[in-house]
Amino acid sequence: MSEREGSPVKTALVWIGLAVVLLLMILPFVWMFVVGLSPNSSWTPSLADWSPANWTLRNFADLFSALPFSAYFANSMIAAVVVTIANIVFCFLVGYAFARRSFPFKKTTFFSVLAVLMVPPYVLIIPLFILINNLGWYDTYLALIVPFAVNPLGIVLVRQYLRSLPRDVEQAAEIDGAGPLRIIFRIVMPLCRPALAVLAIQIFWLNWNSFLFPFILTDQNVRTLPVALAMFRGYQAVDWPHLFAAASLATVPLVVLFLFFQKQIISGLTAGAVKG
Amino acid sequence: MKDTYAPYRRLTGTLGLLSPWLVIFALFWLYPLAHSAYLSLTNYNPLSGTTELIGFKHYLALFIDPEFLQALKNTCIFVIGTVPVTTAIALILALGVNRKLPFRGLFRAGYFVPTLTATVVVALVFMHLYAQGGYLHTLARMIGIAQPDRGLLLTEGTALGAVMVMDIWVSVGYYMLLFLAALQQVPRELYDEAELSGASSWQKFRHITLPLIKPITLYVILINTIKSFQIFTEIFVMTQGGPVGATSTVVYFVYREGFEKFRMGYASAAAYVLFFVILLVSLIQARLLGFFRSTGDETA
Repeated sequence: MSEREGSPVKTALVWIGLAVVLLLMILPFVWMFVVGLSPNSSWTPSLADWSPANWTLRNFADLFSALPFSAYFANSMIAAVVVTIANIVFCFLVGYAFARRSFPFKKTTFFSVLAVLMVPPYVLIIPLFILINNLGWYDTYLALIVPFAVNPLGIVLVRQYLRSLPRDVEQAAEIDGAGPLRIIFRIVMPLCRPALAVLAIQIFWLNWNSFLFPFILTDQNVRTLPVALAMFRGYQAVDWPHLFAAASLATVPLVVLFLFFQKQIISGLTAGAVKG
Repeated sequence: MKDTYAPYRRLTGTLGLLSPWLVIFALFWLYPLAHSAYLSLTNYNPLSGTTELIGFKHYLALFIDPEFLQALKNTCIFVIGTVPVTTAIALILALGVNRKLPFRGLFRAGYFVPTLTATVVVALVFMHLYAQGGYLHTLARMIGIAQPDRGLLLTEGTALGAVMVMDIWVSVGYYMLLFLAALQQVPRELYDEAELSGASSWQKFRHITLPLIKPITLYVILINTIKSFQIFTEIFVMTQGGPVGATSTVVYFVYREGFEKFRMGYASAAAYVLFFVILLVSLIQARLLGFFRSTGDETA
């Protein structure tokens, strides 16, 4: 519940304060788009950059014609989409097993899921790099996909959601003689759709933005957008208009995602936090 | 009609359901963790191909390595300097947007945009703003904390602070959402009653809001601390640890030792030291969390 409104003067002051913060949050991104649209190749900011009359889409076009950004974009998209689909299926199956089946060492197995959540990802960079090399997966899609195919948070999310659902429908189907696979995929999975939507958006978002592991585990072949952006500035004298055009390109899919799925994104982020 | 093998088939089916996790857990979590623990006790170097057990030598060496100590110090400054500020600003913003205001949906969404964006993108934008002649550099010059001929990230005295300011800017929106979710669960009646007995806004905040959001506050502090100890991407993109180590952090040190100097054993030891530090700090904070929750229940 919201607090009572208070005096109009106070409300106006609060509103102005919040609006100023909003500007501070948004302006750097506006600036990023402005530089991306600017024909100016020197980086020093000038008022002329802000004039829409000077804007051009040439930098964006260059990304696809002169620079290999269509490949980076495709790599990012393929990896993020495949990892997302894998997580929907696998987290659902594993979460279902934890919520609905009984089996020996169930507590220990579930503890492995929770324990992994405590491991800081960076601890894995060296051993994972060695392992991926030994498997012959370095700089392939396998390196970007397989280690991230089952997210432990996704398992917890599905399990929690299923535990809150009554079992009546499943039991009725079982009495009717439906086999386990039919029950799992045809009955339970559709019921889990809201949880799986939250999961899918969360996973896509994480993978689209992911830097550390793609950076460690890949090179030229399957380089993703964030890695390409970081390298773009590393190896060349910084060409800000092109760099910021590319950065804008990396940001647009997320803005679209957020506009359509704001509710799912926020519920995914706050899930677990409030109950605790 | 009765199928004696049915329970076994069901168990096999369950194993099938669990298998994606069992495989991923064993191969990509358990094995790498054990392997790097082992590597930290060796002088493994993929270039020279040596792997000799050397015991805890690396762990001892780390504590007299000035580069590691500086990275550890910078990381601690980063955590101590950002976490409380982020928490305070996030709470203030959450209290603000929890009021009935025109366009508050826009505020909530807008504050979240930095969190939504890739860290690399944010880091690049701020590099530009902090560079000599960039907007934030100009602003810093007006306040008198920047040198006119050098960007903020290239100046020893301001580089780490500049990265910290950016981190606060990025994270407040996310933690604001967590605070907001908790604030919306505070029952309205509590405020109504307090108003009837003539409580001021501060008294309502101090005696109703604050005790009820204590658990979420500690959760916010806990996860932000764990996350902040691991800062790497921003450092890699913006400063490469420079100038002269002023922004080197432990994870950046791990990366450099492992992937630039190929001293993977030594790097693994450094990684584990930070892991222990994070674990220790989290355990302390988690105890506080449990402690505060039980007292919170008593007052509620």
